[in-house]
Order: sequence, then C-alpha cells, then structure tokens
Amino acid sequence: MPPASTPETADRPTEATYQSIVEHAIEGIFQTTPDGRYLLANPALAQIYGYSSVDELQGGVKEIARQLYVDPARRAEFIRLMSQQDAVWGFESPIYRKDGSVIWISENVRVIRGEDQNVRYYEGTVEDITERKRVEEELRSAKTAAEEASRSKSQFLANMSHELRTPLNAIIGYSELMREEAEDLDQQSFVRDLKKIESAGKHLLELINGVLDIAKIEAGKMETHAETFDVESMLNDVASTIAPVVEKNGNRFEIAPGPALGSMHTDLTKVRQSLFNLLGNAGKFTHLGLIRLKASRVLQNGSDAILFQVSDTGVGMSPEQSAKIFEAFTQADASTTRKFGGTGLGLAITREFSRIVGGDITVASELGKGSTFSMRVPVRLPGTAAAERNEETRVPEEPHSELSGDRPLVLLIDDDLTVHDLVRRFLHKEGFRTVCAASGPEGLELAGALQPSVIVLDVMMPTMDGWSVLTRVKGDPSLASIPVVMLTMVDNKEMGFSLGVDDYMLKPIERGSFVSTLRKYGSPHASASVLVVEDDSATRELLRSSLEKDGISIVEACNGMEGLRKLATIRPALILLDLMMPEMDGFQFTREVRSRPEWREIPIIVMTAKDIAAEDRTQLDGHVSRILQKGACGREELLAEISSRIARATRPVRAETELQLALV
Amino acid sequence: MKKLLLVEDNEMNRDMLSRRLARRGYEILVATDGSEGLAEATRHLPDLIIMDMSLPVLDGWESTKALKEQPETRSIPVLALTAHAMAGERERALEAGCNDYDTKPVDFTRLLGKIETLLSGSSA
Repeated sequence: MPPASTPETADRPTEATYQSIVEHAIEGIFQTTPDGRYLLANPALAQIYGYSSVDELQGGVKEIARQLYVDPARRAEFIRLMSQQDAVWGFESPIYRKDGSVIWISENVRVIRGEDQNVRYYEGTVEDITERKRVEEELRSAKTAAEEASRSKSQFLANMSHELRTPLNAIIGYSELMREEAEDLDQQSFVRDLKKIESAGKHLLELINGVLDIAKIEAGKMETHAETFDVESMLNDVASTIAPVVEKNGNRFEIAPGPALGSMHTDLTKVRQSLFNLLGNAGKFTHLGLIRLKASRVLQNGSDAILFQVSDTGVGMSPEQSAKIFEAFTQADASTTRKFGGTGLGLAITREFSRIVGGDITVASELGKGSTFSMRVPVRLPGTAAAERNEETRVPEEPHSELSGDRPLVLLIDDDLTVHDLVRRFLHKEGFRTVCAASGPEGLELAGALQPSVIVLDVMMPTMDGWSVLTRVKGDPSLASIPVVMLTMVDNKEMGFSLGVDDYMLKPIERGSFVSTLRKYGSPHASASVLVVEDDSATRELLRSSLEKDGISIVEACNGMEGLRKLATIRPALILLDLMMPEMDGFQFTREVRSRPEWREIPIIVMTAKDIAAEDRTQLDGHVSRILQKGACGREELLAEISSRIARATRPVRAETELQLALV
Repeated sequence: MKKLLLVEDNEMNRDMLSRRLARRGYEILVATDGSEGLAEATRHLPDLIIMDMSLPVLDGWESTKALKEQPETRSIPVLALTAHAMAGERERALEAGCNDYDTKPVDFTRLLGKIETLLSGSSA
C-alpha cells in the first residue's frame, strides 16, 4: 500500500526527496568547478565512468580535461560554449573510463554564476551513448559498403555489356559473312546451318540486352530522358518499323490513332521500345489474324495520359497465365519458349518501362481468342518541369497562314522533327510564321522559294551538314542577305562566325533568348531592334527590361569597339549611345559610324550623364539625332523618344531629313 | 569506286567488316587506332569514314573532332560505331562532329543503309 501523502509533502519536496532523486537517477549528475574538479557527483556518474563509488571518482579525478576527455581540447570547447551561451545540450565526447576503456557520453549542462557574475560551477547530467554511437557507426559503414557494392555492380554490368557484345559481334558478323559467301557458291547445306548460328547469335544478343535492362532496372540505374514528340508521328514510325515482324505470320496489321493525340514530353526510347515489345509479341503469338495498335488521349487522376492498346486475335491466355505474364523470366507456359522463342523478359521490361515513365500496363485475355494489352503513359514525365504545359494543347494546323501574311517568316532546317514541332509551337505564339525543312537540300530549296526573314540552322544533319548549307546560303547572291542563326549542340562559334553566321545559339533551346535573337532579324516590329552602347551594365539591364516590354529587342555592347562589331552583324533601327566609355568612347564611335555609308542613316540617340560642353556638342552636331541627359529624362520620355524614332526609322526617311531633326 | 576508311582496333571486327564491305563493292582502307585513322584520312581523303569510338591512342571522339577541324577532311562524313548502346553516347558522337552513328553489334543491312545515305548526301 502506498504511503499516505499529506498535501504538504506533495507540494514541498523535502531535502531528502532531492537527495533520493540524485542518488537513484539513471543519468549521471554532477557539479564541477571551472578548473576541472568535482563538487558533486552521483553514483550513476561514478558507475558510467567505471569507478566503484562517488568518493573514488571525486578522489581520483582532479583534472577533468586531461583525465576524462580523450581529446583534452573538448573541455576547453565546453568552457568556451558555456561562456557564450550559459548552457549546452547534447555535448558529445569520447571519454576514458577508470580502466582506460573509451566510451561516448552526451552532456546537458548549465552554468551557475555568483552575484559578481563569475562562474561558480557547472551542473548537469551525463548519459552513456556508446551503444547509440556504435549503431550509428555500423549504419554508416553498412551504407557506405552498400553504396560501394552497388557502384561496383553497375560498373560490372557496364563492363559485361561491352565484353559480351564484342565477341558476339564477331559471331553474328562472321556467320552472316559466311552465309553470304555460301549463297554465292550455292552451298545450300552450309547456308542452312550458318543461318542457325546467325539466328542463335541474335537470340543470345537479345537475351543479353534483356538481362542487362532488367539488371539496370533492379539496380535503379535505368535513367529517363524526356523529350517532346508528336504522338501520331511516333506511332506511324513504330508501325512502319515493326510491320514486317507483325505481318510475318500472315497477320493483318491495323493502326488506329485517336483524335487530337497531341504531343508528349517523356522518354521516347522507352515508349517506343515498349510498343515494339507489345507488337512483336502480338505478331509472334498470332497466325493469320489481326493485330491492332490503338492510341487515345485520356484523363487519368486529373492529368492527361495516352492509352496505347495492342490487341491480337492470337492464342490468348488463361487467367492464371495472365496473372504472371509480367514477371521476369516467366512466359505463360514453359513450353512457350520452345515453341515461340523469345527471352521471356520483354513483357517484364515493358511493364518496368511503363512504370518508370509514370504509367502502367494491364492485360485482358481469353484463351484461344486473343489478348489486349493496355499501356497508359502520362503525357508529361513525372518530375519534369511543367513550364511547357501549354504546348501540349495542340496548335491548330494552319499550313496556309504559315506561308502567307505579314508575320515574319522563320525557316528552320533541322533533321530532328521534335525540334520542328517545339520551335513551330512557341514561335507561333511569339508572332512568327515557321516553315520547317528536315534536310539541307530541302532547306535550300525552301529558302530560295520563300525568302524567309531568317534561317535557323542545325549543324549535325545527315546528307548535308549545317556548315555546307551555310556556305551555300552565303555563296548564293539571292540568299546571302538572309540572316542565319545556328542552333546546335556543338559549341563552335568561331567556325560559325568565320563562315558568316549572324548568331549562334546552343541546344537545348533557351526559349527567351531564342525568341529575342530571332526578333533581331525578323521582328514583328519590322527591324525594331535597338543597339545599346553603354558601359554600365545596370543601365543596359534597365533599358533592356523597359524596351523588351514594348516588344523592342535589344542588342547590347559595352563600349564603342564592341558596338562596331555588333553593327557588322545586325542593322538596328536605332542606336542608344553613352559617351564616356572605356576602349572607344561615344564620340569616336559616332565618327566611325558616320564614316560608313551603310551605317550613316541609323539614328543615334546620345544618353549622357556628362554636362555637354560646347566643343563636345560641336563634335556631335549633325551626327546624332538627340542628346538626352541621364537622370533629367524619365523612362517614359526615353521610351516615347525611342518609339517615335523607330517609327520614323522604319519609314523610308532620307538621312538629310533625319539630320535636320538632330539636336534640339 | 567509293573509298571507305574503317577505323577499328578490334582485329576480328575490322577483318569482318572490311571483308563484308569489300563484297559490296567498296574500296576499303583500314586503321587500327585514332591517330592512324587521322593520318590515313588526311593522306587518302576517303569518301566516308567509319569510326569506332573506343579506340587506343586517340579515341573516336577526339579523332572526329580533329578531322572536322582540318579544312581538307572537314567535309568527309563520319559514321560513328559505338559498342555501348547507352543514352548519351549518340549525343557525344554527334557533338564530336560525327554525321551519323550506329551501335554494335553491327546490323549490317542497317549499316549499309546509313553508309549509302551519307555517301549520296555528300555527292549531292
């Protein structure tokens, strides 16, 4: 029976109660002096440190820093922390026990100060955390070991892949070579055997590829590469590639793309491979039947997906067989492999691929009637930025409006059809018309026929590369004046500029700079680009953001010298010029510009912080359109001035008229 | 007769491919590493170069870059052969200046198609 407690004893613990708490606590409790001696310790502390009693601990430890801490600097660190924040929590250190063994402790301590604010002592608790530390350390090393093992496994796979394929390459190649020679010599019996070697070699290769895919998936090493592509073109492409396989057993092959499939932004290779696997399977298990490939755009959990369906009128499966059809190394029946061949990995890989791209696959089948595989793939690969979401809604095809109208015409020459689609869509929104050519010769023909405002040219193309196209454009008097912007993965600006390229952009396409570059050459505002020659980057930035809002594109140069270089490649409607600049100042720049007949008519507006002296004014007199005092004129005034100058500049105004307006 | 330069360090592959291509009526030159390939290409100016990418001395990427930097060899189409059917290899080959690529083990019919496409393009 518990002792009856009076209200007094419950409210006011006695001295004896405190004594008991300290005596029987599981944590070590202590008070220590700043010079490292024990004022007080409890039995638990003595036990943690390996002493038989509190007296033995207090008698034996006279210098905590040296006797207890494995690293004597820990005590100094402890004192430093105490002086800064008056308390520490979870201060972890290795400690020597009495027998010299090392344990880990964690301390929670606060400082006790006298009335003079000097430290009187520290008091706190100690917990033995050796076991926790050991577990942590084990986890850490287990993790490191696991990561190391996983790395060597991947490395092993990569090497295997190479090592296995190399001899296989020789086996397949030589058997093909010998078969061809045997055919020439009409050695039919050799031909048959050599065909068997060849087909066994190819089967082995398929198996190796499948095993490596599965291994990569299991090691989590299967990466995804999202790209934007048109679903219907992809389907047609897949269908024409796989048709010979599907139709081999006397099967009919139908493809039924649904309406408005639009484009996808996902891993093209994995989607294609999955469709190849499904169609190849359907063809293999169907004789004299019908195989259909259907696709439709569906809504799944509030987001768009494409549902691909491959149905056949083949052998079909029982429910038991259907249930395990997607497991690796399991075909519906062990005899299937013997009868139909195949690796038994195709469907497992297909399911993994569909899951990797955020979708899934199911099958509906009836024995003897056929099977329908349904694979759903989100139109956007999960985890990729949603910035281009709008592009998924299909831009209506307007072939005629692309070829006529007053919007500037961009000719894109690129063998990558996904780039066509991408560029056409966003340029359409930006007020351009786009015509695409998939090869150099086609591009040259279109350039001659359409005389575009600007040509965007890829470098790496089969048949005729971008450099050859460029050379022909620049060498043909009827095309030479069309600006050419290279759009490529290859960073070789020097070569580009030496061959006469007007601008150079690197893939992947950065939309903002791509559009503003094109604006320079084929802006909907005619040639409404402004060359800003100014050494202060903040001012340039300010002008750029103000003017770009009004649809005026900006070319920047940070001094007169660079300004002249820019003029060699573009023709701005207007030049905004600072006077005081390094390398070449505004005065000399103006003289240079006015000395060239081809640049003489470009209006120049001077912006200067300089108080213009009379002789400076004379220097500029007759050569610049307007001098604006920085700070004295606001953004609105500057914009109004530029707009009116651009309006004038885009009308055929003679230089003399313009010059009369100069200098107010 | 169109002249093809095959740059391949694996003896069996080199022998097999060169014999098979010769059967198709091409004149074949061979080189066993990238630097020899570069020298042969400069000396004989072939109509097309088939370049293995993993080569000793100078690898296929470096050799192609060098070929594309020399004015006299710049316009010779380079067809990259890579043993690794890995994502990124294609991009690396094209970045180095290769005009097309094919993966090993070689599908001979497909390779022939690519060779013919490249040859007809450069003479167009």
